[in-house]
Amino acid sequence: MLLSSAPASARLFVSELSVLFRRWRTWTMLAALAAVPVLIGLAVRFSPKGPPSGRGPAFLDQITHNGLFAGVVGLVVCTPLFLPLTVGVVAGDTIAGEANLGTLRYLLAAPAGRVRLLVVKYLASAVFCVAAALAVVVGGTLTGAVLFPLGQATLLSGDTISPGEAFGRLLLMAGYVTVSLLGLSAIGLFASTMTNVPVGAMAATIVLAVVSQVLDALDQLDWLHPWLFSDHWLSVADLLREPIAWGSFGENTLLQLGYIALFGALAYGRFTTKDVLA
Amino acid sequence: MSPAAEGAGKPSLAASPETAVRTEGLTKRFGRHHAVDGLDLTVPRGAVFGFLGPNGSGKTTTIRMLLGLVSPTAGRVEVLGEEMPARLMGVLPRVGALVEGPAFYPFLSGEANLHRLDTADLRAPVRTRGERVKSALERVGLEHAAHKRVHAYSLGMKQRLGLAAALLAPRELLVLDEPTNGLDPQGTREVRSLIRSLAQDGTTVFVSSHLLAEVEQICTHAAMLRTGKLVAQGTLDELRGAALPRVEVRTPDESQAAEVLRGLGLSPERSAPGTVVASSAANDGAPAPEEVVAALVGAGVRVRGFAAAAASLEERFVELTGEGFDVAQ
Amino acid sequence: MKRIWTRWLPAAAVPAVIAVGVLAAGAAAVSPPPPATPEQVLGLVASHAARQFSGTVEEKADLGLPSIPSQALAPATKSATLGSEAALLELLTTAHTARVYADGPTKLRVQVMDQLAERDAIRNGNDAWTFDSKTNEVTHTTLPAGTGSEPSPTAKAPVMTPDQLAQRFLAAAGPSTNVTLGQSAPVAGHSAYALVLTPKTSGTLVSSVQIAVEAQTGLPLSVDVYAKGQKDPAFHSAFTKLDLGAPDASVFAFTPPAGATVKQQPAPTPKASAGTMPKSPSTASPKASAGTTPKSPESAPSWDTVLVVPAAKVPAGLLDQPLVKQLATPVAGGRLLSSSLVNILITDDGRVLAGAVPASTLLAKAAQ
Ligand SMILES: Nc1ncnc2c1ncn2[C@@H]1O[C@H](COP(=O)(O)OP(=O)(O)OP(=O)(O)O)[C@@H](O)[C@H]1O
Ligand SMILES: [Mg+2]
Repeated sequence: MLLSSAPASARLFVSELSVLFRRWRTWTMLAALAAVPVLIGLAVRFSPKGPPSGRGPAFLDQITHNGLFAGVVGLVVCTPLFLPLTVGVVAGDTIAGEANLGTLRYLLAAPAGRVRLLVVKYLASAVFCVAAALAVVVGGTLTGAVLFPLGQATLLSGDTISPGEAFGRLLLMAGYVTVSLLGLSAIGLFASTMTNVPVGAMAATIVLAVVSQVLDALDQLDWLHPWLFSDHWLSVADLLREPIAWGSFGENTLLQLGYIALFGALAYGRFTTKDVLA
Repeated sequence: MSPAAEGAGKPSLAASPETAVRTEGLTKRFGRHHAVDGLDLTVPRGAVFGFLGPNGSGKTTTIRMLLGLVSPTAGRVEVLGEEMPARLMGVLPRVGALVEGPAFYPFLSGEANLHRLDTADLRAPVRTRGERVKSALERVGLEHAAHKRVHAYSLGMKQRLGLAAALLAPRELLVLDEPTNGLDPQGTREVRSLIRSLAQDGTTVFVSSHLLAEVEQICTHAAMLRTGKLVAQGTLDELRGAALPRVEVRTPDESQAAEVLRGLGLSPERSAPGTVVASSAANDGAPAPEEVVAALVGAGVRVRGFAAAAASLEERFVELTGEGFDVAQ
Repeated sequence: MKRIWTRWLPAAAVPAVIAVGVLAAGAAAVSPPPPATPEQVLGLVASHAARQFSGTVEEKADLGLPSIPSQALAPATKSATLGSEAALLELLTTAHTARVYADGPTKLRVQVMDQLAERDAIRNGNDAWTFDSKTNEVTHTTLPAGTGSEPSPTAKAPVMTPDQLAQRFLAAAGPSTNVTLGQSAPVAGHSAYALVLTPKTSGTLVSSVQIAVEAQTGLPLSVDVYAKGQKDPAFHSAFTKLDLGAPDASVFAFTPPAGATVKQQPAPTPKASAGTMPKSPSTASPKASAGTTPKSPESAPSWDTVLVVPAAKVPAGLLDQPLVKQLATPVAGGRLLSSSLVNILITDDGRVLAGAVPASTLLAKAAQ
């Protein structure tokens, strides 16, 4: 049954994406994310003194050598708050948003199938994670190309790479950031099945992202750190080492998969037993 | 859940192709409050079934259970001969529904909304989708607003779009929760004729309403609900027939008329100056209206007006509950 | 309708599966090393010559000192007088992860992987480089041919490999030390012997030092220093990943990046190593960066040696440094920086006394 309806499920997924990306709100958030590296680039380009060395966001002083670093700085700056914020909005809206509009009962009566709807909703929010990371990359690349030379790039290890490879690393970083946000998306999905008020689910998701990072900063809780979904978020910089330190990529992926499995299962338990009263 | 296990032993709810909807002891509790309480419904195939009840009597809750949106606290549901919600994915493509008002994505056009709902129906063929959406919109008179965003729709237009959504595919059963809500008189008439024409094609229509007059005009069967409990169920004639006939006489000779009516075995009452109302104490042996008029004229009563009212559902309802048609507490 | 509680089964099963997975990953099957005597293991360590590996080292200290992140120390690392001390403090209070590549005695690269930053120390033949990604500063030293292979922890790369550390402890493990074999346990997936060094004297804070030795090659894989009265190691340095193949040669090639400030530094003059105390990492200051060869018997330190730096050699105004003021508590005659493993006394007359000994020993020595 699942297999025979695979094309139909794929079409439901496409429909879900079109609903997501036909929303004014989605594009506002993507534009805001793309604006971060643009602002950083403008600030570096037009500040009277050169970029401070060793102060400000990491890699800031690299932008003048290679414009692609506007995207790198953008990703690093957006990772703690802006990206979780937008992902929290989209993931928190998945089920609760439909419940709030009342469309949930019509989707289920269509029938879309509760499990299928949950999966489609999660995949769509994962696509948004990709779009969000790419928005920063696109904003950063365009800004960098317009305002700065695209010369050799210096890695954290002091090695130098070509602009082409630098762009490859930037895309890898976008991939890493996307993976980092998948666990949070699953948490948002679960929160979204708990309420008919989308703002509540969004707020809960975003607050959890902040709490996780605060706990991650407390040394007293270092036994807990490997289990926090934000633990590897800033290790995205491991992709700028030479050779690339893939360890954090692997650990992060495993950790996020764990969160997807746990909160996916919780969302399944909740959503398939829930009375749809909205 | 335990009710399902209990019910499994009962053969009475075996597949019955002649019933479109059947419930048995259907109960839904919200906390300690029984929204629906031991409901035994039988909706024959091909019927236009009026589901009557005052506000808060449990109509929408029942409909949600029929559609598998809410799981019953106890009891069983069978829709189109299949157990719900176990066979939900097989049953619901054959059921069109309007539940507690229409709901759409305000930022999408009416047409895009219907496309989305049809995509959600996994059995709906893609090839005919555009065509079916178009004809559903035409059927409810929305073809001109098809590309307008729903947030620019009026209440009545949304209601029409909701009906269009229910009609996206050929359905064996339509479940419509207060379908005329928010419609203008013209729209109300259109919905009534729509329901009639659907019924003529053999579709079973389950329509909930708190407007008794509306149900009387279109339904073949009805059930009455009060505070979650079923108070009556049957064909419209059965329900009406159970009500007592009544005559109304307009005359200046009130006391004389009352005497004549009493002589005919009726119990007269002065309802307004110059108007006497009388109903028979029993259903059988009530005099025919022409006999009543002849007796009045023969006795020299100046009859200025006469009406023999057929029993209405409302009276029947008042009789059954001993109360008005008010919001349940 | 199916029983509803079954829908919650996956949510209950996932944590169980994760727990099983974590336990299974932790209990990787590594066969124990063949039986050996402590002497054989010591010989194994001494014999391992061709050091070729690439791996990841984790290092952390639990000295009862507050954690001082490198950011807080950044101003101090820049100051000429406190540079090495601050680096030392960071080494002792902050956990590090570093990637280490080694190919023979003259090719070594240590990459300290800080968050969003990196500090590199590279030794490639006669060239020694350091690079700090935060400041974009490069230092370059041309070493005289034949120089040993032990770069010391500096502000640029405050990490020593378990290998380097172990060599120091083993070199110092003279007659003052009992050497035994403990319960062997695999490290980074490699079968390893566990050497246990126990000081014979009771006058030291060190209770024991455990060194894991790779069963085949004799490469030290981890070093744990235990302080008296503390269950967890006061200092821990171990490989978490280790590959015993030769790293790619390109790893050791370093060209200063464009835009970096390059400082040429003179090669350190090989000093006669002063009476350094037991080669606990706490004394691994640049000055104490001695080679690995054991000293002549008379200079062999014991566990309770107290290192005294005369006032003339101590940077002026050390006592007034905010960092010192913050960490050291005033005692009679000076300020004491106390930890579970090491005590450091800065006397009012400007001398510095340090050792893995109780504070009272330092005070007594200062009063002499
Ligand atoms: N989510 C809920 N939680 C608690 N009680 C509820 C909930 N939804 C409905 N009820 C209660 O269930 C009862 C039946 O509600 P329902 O919506 O089925 O009535 P209705 O017959 O459809 O009324 P109306 O004509 O106003 O639409 C009401 O008393 C209502 O208060
Ligand atoms: Mg209702």
